[in-house]
Amino acid sequence: MRAVYGIVVRELVRFRRQRARVLASIGRPFVWLIFAGAGYAAVFAGRNEIDYRVYMAPGLLGMVVMFGALLAALSTVTDRDAGVLRMVLVAPIRRSTIALGKALGATVLGTTQAVVVAALLLPLVHLRPSLADGLLAGLALVLSSLALGAVGLVLAASIRSLENFAGVMNFVVFPMLFLSGALYPVRHLGPVLRLVAYVNPLAYGVDLLKHALLGAWAGAGYAGELSPWLDVAALAGFAVAGLVAAAPLLAREGGVTRTAFRERA
Amino acid sequence: MTAAAIEARGLGKDFGSIRALDQLDLDVREGEFFGLLGPNGAGKTTTVHLLATLLAPTRGTARVGGHDVARDDLAVRRVIGLVFQDTTLDRDLTVQENLRFAARLWNLPGRLAVPRIEALVRQFGLFERRADPVRTLSGGMRRAADLARGMLHEPRVLFLDEPTAGLDPRARRSLWDLIRRLRQASGLTVFLTTHYVEEAEPCDRVAVMDHGRLVALGTPADLKRTTGVGSLEEVFLARTGHPLAETGAG
Repeated sequence: MRAVYGIVVRELVRFRRQRARVLASIGRPFVWLIFAGAGYAAVFAGRNEIDYRVYMAPGLLGMVVMFGALLAALSTVTDRDAGVLRMVLVAPIRRSTIALGKALGATVLGTTQAVVVAALLLPLVHLRPSLADGLLAGLALVLSSLALGAVGLVLAASIRSLENFAGVMNFVVFPMLFLSGALYPVRHLGPVLRLVAYVNPLAYGVDLLKHALLGAWAGAGYAGELSPWLDVAALAGFAVAGLVAAAPLLAREGGVTRTAFRERA
Repeated sequence: MTAAAIEARGLGKDFGSIRALDQLDLDVREGEFFGLLGPNGAGKTTTVHLLATLLAPTRGTARVGGHDVARDDLAVRRVIGLVFQDTTLDRDLTVQENLRFAARLWNLPGRLAVPRIEALVRQFGLFERRADPVRTLSGGMRRAADLARGMLHEPRVLFLDEPTAGLDPRARRSLWDLIRRLRQASGLTVFLTTHYVEEAEPCDRVAVMDHGRLVALGTPADLKRTTGVGSLEEVFLARTGHPLAETGAG
């Protein structure tokens, strides 16, 4: 479908232009590795089961996916503010095509950034996954990007303006990160937070990444906690549900005329 | 009798308790240059968005290019071009990148799109600036690029929603030159909304709108003659009891 391709290409061109965004997305996990890693590693020390920095690696890749895919999907808010969304809405394509294009753009961006980070990060923490584990990790990155991209689209369509963006960061992005198992195992959380963790798409992505990368520590309880099949199914479910929910929201009247009308009325 | 490019029957739209468009009956002929004149908030943009399938009508029906706006919105969007009040181009992309993006959205294969984009940027005086980000273009050039985007898929009906808003007089003149040439070259139907009488003056027919209602419809000459006044401004004043220039009152 040419329109989907066009939407994806535009996302890539825009990303390439934003040097600061590229550097931030590549650099962010290393900042976490150094600073959060140093602190938590000291707490973890003495248990000798796993170096915390190794434990963190799958979570950091999940974090790259989250920021990459979620921010790409949230750019729909900017598109609406800048008017670009109207060019897309007046094109002879279905709303679902727009949602699919945006989500696939987020998938490509999230996955690419995570692969680049993985190539630098994994040797640094002495993780050398086998080919099969590497492929499973790749699948985890693609599925997580798609799921987060789709969920991000629903968020973007529900946000009225960029001012609400900080709210999304505080109440969605950070809880999503902390309740994903990226920094500590989800099983240590209380029942309520654990419940929240299981409606968090990132939790399934990170779990699948742990299956792929931390298999050697399965005995000590640091590998994935859920069945990898459940992870895959949950991620696919989030992706489909997000796309289905986002499509009609994208075309909501608020996006096109109503705000303009209100300003003048 | 030529075919109708646009037919609206009892078309209306409410936003909550606000009646943006009451009940519009309208026929625009193929190839006609049709103007919708009224102050801000008269319902002009709502009308365009209903006809362009961006809004669903609350009541009534409309057909554009023979397709029903409610039942066959994709077919309608395929035959129309729409230039909005504000630019819809991605400011961070170049003129050419924007047009390629639009070409893909309109499902034009590259072998068709590339020569067409080249011809349009030349025709619209954007050739020298085609590789520059839209952000760096003047308001007039941006609007010309918007128009190029709207014409890329060779629409049969072109909607221009306050196309000269925010442009200086020179940019305004050159935009009208472009539009005149497009109409002469292709027999394009143009549906214009404006609150400037001088822009409605050259239209084949003008619909005068106020508070979501059609208050007069005819050729500019007929409107002035039947109202017994000398300008479209006075036509508006005579038909509504208040001056057109009093904008922003909604």
